[in-house]
Amino acid sequence: MEENKTSILILDDEPIVSKRLKPSLEKKGYEVEAFTTSKEALERIEERQFDIVVTDLKMEGVDGMQFLTRVKEKYPDTEVIVITGFATMATAKESFNKGVFDFLAKPFKLGEIADVIARAEARKKGGK
Amino acid sequence: MNIFNRIKQLCGGKTREEVPFKILFAEFKKSLELNNQILDLIADANDKLSGDYIFDEQYIQSTCRQLTDLIRQLIVTINHLTDQKYTDLYTSFHKIEEEIEALLRGQALNQVKDLILPYNEVSRDLADSVGGKNAHIGEIGSLLDLRIPAGFAITTAAFALFLDENNLRDRILAIRRRWQDCEIAVDDASRQIRQAIMSGEVPKKLKDEMLAAATYISSQYTETTPCFAVRSSAIGEDEISSFAGQYLSRLNIPLDEIPQAYKEVIASLYSPEAMEYRLMMDFRSHEIMMAVACQLMIPARASGVLYTYDPVRPEQETMVISSAWGLGEPIVSGEVPTDTFILDRRPPHEVREMRIVRKDETMVLRGCGGLAIDGVAEEQRTEPSLKSEQLHDLARAGMQLEKYFKRPQDIEFAIDPRDQVIILQSRQLQLQQARAPRACDLSGLGGKYRILLRGRGTAAMEGIATGPAWVYTEGRDLADFPMGGILVARHATPQLARVIHRATGFITDVGSTTGHLATVAREFRVPALFNTENGTEVIEDGREITLDTECLTIYEGIVQELQYYAIQEEPIEEMYEYRLLRRVLKKIEPLNLTDPEADNFTPEGCRTYHDLTRFVHEKAVETIIDLNFYHAHHKSTQAGQLLWDYPLDLILIDVGGGISGEHEKGIRPEQITCVPMQALLRGMSYPGIWDMAPAGVDFSSFMSSLTRTSSVRSTSPEDVGRNLAVVSAEYTNINFRLGYHFTVIDAYVSDNILDNHIYFRFSGGVTETVRRDRRTRLLAKILSHYDFLCELHGDIVVARLKRMDKGRMLHRLFLLGLLVGFTRQLDVKMVSESTIDTFFEEIRTIMEKEHGRE
Repeated sequence: MEENKTSILILDDEPIVSKRLKPSLEKKGYEVEAFTTSKEALERIEERQFDIVVTDLKMEGVDGMQFLTRVKEKYPDTEVIVITGFATMATAKESFNKGVFDFLAKPFKLGEIADVIARAEARKKGGK
Repeated sequence: MNIFNRIKQLCGGKTREEVPFKILFAEFKKSLELNNQILDLIADANDKLSGDYIFDEQYIQSTCRQLTDLIRQLIVTINHLTDQKYTDLYTSFHKIEEEIEALLRGQALNQVKDLILPYNEVSRDLADSVGGKNAHIGEIGSLLDLRIPAGFAITTAAFALFLDENNLRDRILAIRRRWQDCEIAVDDASRQIRQAIMSGEVPKKLKDEMLAAATYISSQYTETTPCFAVRSSAIGEDEISSFAGQYLSRLNIPLDEIPQAYKEVIASLYSPEAMEYRLMMDFRSHEIMMAVACQLMIPARASGVLYTYDPVRPEQETMVISSAWGLGEPIVSGEVPTDTFILDRRPPHEVREMRIVRKDETMVLRGCGGLAIDGVAEEQRTEPSLKSEQLHDLARAGMQLEKYFKRPQDIEFAIDPRDQVIILQSRQLQLQQARAPRACDLSGLGGKYRILLRGRGTAAMEGIATGPAWVYTEGRDLADFPMGGILVARHATPQLARVIHRATGFITDVGSTTGHLATVAREFRVPALFNTENGTEVIEDGREITLDTECLTIYEGIVQELQYYAIQEEPIEEMYEYRLLRRVLKKIEPLNLTDPEADNFTPEGCRTYHDLTRFVHEKAVETIIDLNFYHAHHKSTQAGQLLWDYPLDLILIDVGGGISGEHEKGIRPEQITCVPMQALLRGMSYPGIWDMAPAGVDFSSFMSSLTRTSSVRSTSPEDVGRNLAVVSAEYTNINFRLGYHFTVIDAYVSDNILDNHIYFRFSGGVTETVRRDRRTRLLAKILSHYDFLCELHGDIVVARLKRMDKGRMLHRLFLLGLLVGFTRQLDVKMVSESTIDTFFEEIRTIMEKEHGRE
């Protein structure tokens, strides 16, 4: 059964993000793993692929940009969604250059990210 | 300062006359712009409490800093405008700013300075100052309509004062050190500390306040014995269950012995068990504090405990009540046999099982000042200790408490001499079986339950609710709304808030998440889903439904998986970020300065950012009027009062080509050459719009207070008109304060389409929120119909229009004139929902008559 589920990795150093997002996405039928440090998330990425990665960009002692760069290197077809509280045009542009699927500025509504994830999922399935 | 001095000051200094009006007006407009930005930011921050957003601490910090920055600019602006007249605002501002910064740094967790707090001022947010027991009981009493004992909290500030005045801190610390260094045994250390506390004096200020509070309560309840229960309400006590039994409670204490009992209770903070526990848990000195609850003693007929779930068999969907005659102490400690009642959790809460035991003994009050174990009257020994009505009331109270605290509850209660249920304490009940489903188990619910609605709506308050649907239609009496029901309605109107104590959920077809109902739903933590479009059509009245706002889904029937999931999950409003946002908003959002004529309408009276904003707005308008009308210093401007048939005190300031002719004695409407102003006044004076007829006897005085901003009694310019219009040939900027309505219009109309704009902002009103809300919706409906881009923030309406040709712009200014004239009466006239459509049609008819169909 787990095989059919779309898998999502969430990385954000603010615990509340995972705490709110994980159960909400699980209820929608996604398989979700959440991390608050990029070290753990990077280790996990080396072990397995996720269909969708949701990551913050600016975190204490962590560079989300490095993380998403690594994800896209290793799994070009993983869709990456960037969430950040410091949205600037420059960072948005840079992330789109790296092949990021979409960019959401915090705070956002649960419904907004659910929509973005649904679109990413559709593109992934359509692409296959 | 009297007006002559002010004029002297204004005329005497050379500074003001040299500042061109253009610059002052630019400052004035800047203050309006800042005012709007601040209010919008505050409304948006409140919206985040709905739980529908993902936000982090970073958001709270940046919002606070943005607001702080805007407020600072606002104060700088008003001081530019007034030649540094309101520098005192900086003092109030810095104080508020510091409080907010302290909260953001995680300090000063709502530590109050009050020694005593009556229960109606206590809420859970004050738990750090009043302890868990007081905090919960206070919140139950003030937010849920349940009875609690009359009483007050003695805060940790009182505790600190007691220690300080008796120089106990160092002594206690020294004794603790000796114990920790194994020089003395814990029993010795405990005894020495308790002796030190008992030999201390309760500080006079504290003693006086305690006795005054207790005397006041006694005077309110003269028919009962004025004796008190003095109980510990330690910080964190309710959370750490192993602690709860360690502290002392003193019962049936006469008024004058309360200070002595207080010392005994706080001394119990240093029982050997508690001291060892804290050592193990590495408590720091500053964390060892105690608040105390002082409650009027209830000569209970019966007492007991209610569990809202059977802790060992939650799947039975029952609640369990144990009770016996008399006071609750021996019942709670298990010293006497109790009757047991098993009730259905679902209304009407039928009794499934009843086990009545023989009850020979009971604890009773012995006059004032003691307790006794008495024999129970023979005929009562085998009688049930609770009547069926009481069981029913208890069950309802239990469900209410569980719904509110979002956890199964363990509730202590008493039945008073009038057979009423009194809630003594409510805390979280631990269920033995961890049987709640995980979030990932819930994705397949759609296959199991019929879905009535999915993927539509906005969560005004997050959560899961189950219960019978009650579909509201106009004319249906809200008094009939059933306990535990889910209210389904077309509009999220404020009047629906009446059922907040009974409702477990709200669903509406249309509604604003920044409106009154949303705010109330958040305060009372009732899940609410607005904008479902057709909830009223797909949900059948009387059917049981389950609402999951997070998934925007409504199921038919009771979805037990979700129900169990909900009580297992940490409620989002308990998360740190939510608590922090609520705390900082308390320093930002409340408006204390509502009346410009009141004594507190001063820089010192400003206690929140909202107060500062309100104060500056009022003074900015006043200043522009003062400087240009009462003392015309600016050679470039002309000013005068509008001479009109309608009771509107309007000061016009012409900055170029807006007024013609001589105007020493005032300006007649036909002298106005400002094009947008002409259109607006034409609307305002449209026959019948400015209703001069008295609006009914009870409203006449009220209405007259609305129509004139000035008082006829007074000739002081400071009391006269705060209605201001700055005009030129093609431009107007208008600030109306008609009674409690605030209207701002900024319009530029010329032959150049690209430059044309209208900005309209409307807020305020003194009638109850229901009619204000109707007015807001009516305005939005009309303005949207006429191409305005509308935004609603609570009951603020903001409408914008740009780049339309001159003719259409003027039609719309005429429309705004109609609305300004009209809305004066709207609040009071909007007595039913249907008035929205009626008034809309009325306005449209006038518009078509005047300008034809566009």
